Amino acid sequence: MAGYRVVVGIKWVPNTQAVRFDPKTGTLIRQGVPAIINPQDLHAIEMALRLRDAYGGEVIVITMAPPPAVQGLEHAIGMGADRAILVTDRSFAGADTLATSYVLARAINKVEREIGRVDLAVFGQETIDSSTAHIGAQVASWLGWPYIYYVKQASLSNGSLRVVRQLEDVIEEYEAKLPAVISVLAKALRPRHVSLLNKLRARTERPIITWTNKDLGLDTRCVGLKGSPTIVAKVTYLPEVPRLKKVHKAENPREAARWLLKNLLSDEKTRDLIARALWGEGSA
Amino acid sequence: MGDVGRKVPERFDVIVVGAGPAGCAASYMLAKSGFKVLLLERGRGPGSKELYGGRIYAQPLRDVWPDLDKKAPIHRWVTKERFSFTWGSRVVTLEYRVGRSVSFTTYLPEMAKWMADRATEAGALLVDEVVVDDIVVRDGRVVGVRSGTDFLRADVVIDAEGVNRILLEKLGLAERLDPGKVAIGAKEVLRVGEGAINDRLGLSKKEGLAWLVAGDVTEGVPGGGFIYTMKDTISVGIVLHVGRAVEAAEKGFLRTSIHGMVEKLRLHNYFKQIWGDADVVEYGGHLTIEGGLGLVPKKLYMDGFLVVGDAAGLLLNTGYTIRGVDFAVTSGKLAAETVVEAFNVGGPTEENLSVYESKLKSSFVWRELVKHRGISEIMSDPYYFTVLPALLTSLLKKLFEADYEEPTIMDAVFEAASEEDISIAKLLLKLASVVGRV
Repeated sequence: MAGYRVVVGIKWVPNTQAVRFDPKTGTLIRQGVPAIINPQDLHAIEMALRLRDAYGGEVIVITMAPPPAVQGLEHAIGMGADRAILVTDRSFAGADTLATSYVLARAINKVEREIGRVDLAVFGQETIDSSTAHIGAQVASWLGWPYIYYVKQASLSNGSLRVVRQLEDVIEEYEAKLPAVISVLAKALRPRHVSLLNKLRARTERPIITWTNKDLGLDTRCVGLKGSPTIVAKVTYLPEVPRLKKVHKAENPREAARWLLKNLLSDEKTRDLIARALWGEGSA
Repeated sequence: MGDVGRKVPERFDVIVVGAGPAGCAASYMLAKSGFKVLLLERGRGPGSKELYGGRIYAQPLRDVWPDLDKKAPIHRWVTKERFSFTWGSRVVTLEYRVGRSVSFTTYLPEMAKWMADRATEAGALLVDEVVVDDIVVRDGRVVGVRSGTDFLRADVVIDAEGVNRILLEKLGLAERLDPGKVAIGAKEVLRVGEGAINDRLGLSKKEGLAWLVAGDVTEGVPGGGFIYTMKDTISVGIVLHVGRAVEAAEKGFLRTSIHGMVEKLRLHNYFKQIWGDADVVEYGGHLTIEGGLGLVPKKLYMDGFLVVGDAAGLLLNTGYTIRGVDFAVTSGKLAAETVVEAFNVGGPTEENLSVYESKLKSSFVWRELVKHRGISEIMSDPYYFTVLPALLTSLLKKLFEADYEEPTIMDAVFEAASEEDISIAKLLLKLASVVGRV
């Protein structure tokens, strides 16, 4: 194959904007909530597709998830990915980021063995349902590949990768030898829409492979819940700020801002709440 | 990447645009007859862009899916019909206990998914998340569809795009939507619980209630409220005539938004007792056809092309019943039959597909639309949405809210009319014209 083989890791997540909170138990009600591709991963797919469009090669999208995630992989194929791999097994359930990254890294190894050399692995910045931003770094560690995150732009030449990385106050440029792992800055690119012929291809050609642990042959002590050392020790919920139900019809923006400021600061209880929400308990 | 799977088919016999009731019915019938059908949907999954009040008339759907009663996601069979006039805190309600239930309640996205599943089981290919930008015409013949830069060929394209007829407009078959011919609906879904619904409305298991409300719930704008019982939720909503609502808003009479009206209906003392403080679990809005034949496109067929469902303007709102889904399914079925017959007699030429129009015009759908064509004028006249409920509630106030002396009915009518500043002569004239039209 001429060009580069790029693997994109995506996560199939509950749409947290549609998730409701159970006020009694303090947990998320996930039942009946539609799942989506983690929105930031769409930017990772887009970056991979742009690299392929510019240099040739292929984009393989991979996810570790229960079978309904095929819907997300079809979406990725619809955007233009060449093929997709669903890594799924009951024993993978309950995984933390360590166990997940282990499975993904071994799946990438399997891609290398069975499909061919992988030049680049691309991930989103973080997920909307857990926000750890671990996966890219951990996969890179398992594979022993260099890792660069907050990547805004990437280009490839002569077996190396050049990226522009954007931090809060600086823009850095890096060069790394391939193979490498990058994670893409949130909202770095505008993900393309699904196209008719690509989506049709997703439905007719079935370019989606499924791998279970029978195919991967991983030690069950290293995957799923058993392979996950992370323990959620305690969850504390921030106090909910009660709504005052005041409505003000402003004459203009300036007057609206003035009214808002006056109201927020004149009431002692509100002032306390704002302080606590901003700087934590005891700060008032 | 030639190593994965077979190639994308270059052409389909039929491409159906829109996986709503009409598109799904057409796809199902055609796939069952052995046609290679592609069903395209812009939303994520069939029905994901749909919204309606809550009720479907069953028999026309049974004509397509005989196993409907057993297999479809039916929430409740409507056994109680209610109609209320509201004026301030006063409400007049008429209830009818039906002898034989002919309609059921369900969520439309759930129902559309069921219909689409029937189509794909029969062999149709469903592709969602794809927007069709154009129906492609060459030398006066429809040859396929375009989406972005992709073109896909088909012998026949069936337009089931719904009430927003972007494709028909581009083809020059429909005008831009006239606000006078459409209504906007907004609704909330309240989680009440199955047992509570049954207890509070006197329903047995699987029995449902359909309730239409007219009067000041729409603040004088033609339209009304609706209440439908689902399995464990109740849908509450408002429909407004768009043209009249815009007029009223521009003149300053109408200051409440439609979602504000839905909220007022939800908080209305008389209705609120049914759902109490139930959570709003969902809300949404959609355009709908105001009714009558006003939105039927210039042509329902072209060489290689048919129009079905809402896109074909097939919806009837008589004020006491609203029929859309059954009309859509019937039009999809007739379109499919037409295509099958056309291929038996030489292909989907304009002449062969013109049979669709004659089929449609001799079907109950068209007969209903013609029979009730006067209704749209009534349904867009603010008079009936202000004067009637005002008079009726005022009349009943005279009859039932007397401390000592009760007036005779005739006295009550005239007293109520003069109190509400209503001319009885004008009312009688109006009512006579209603009878004449309907």
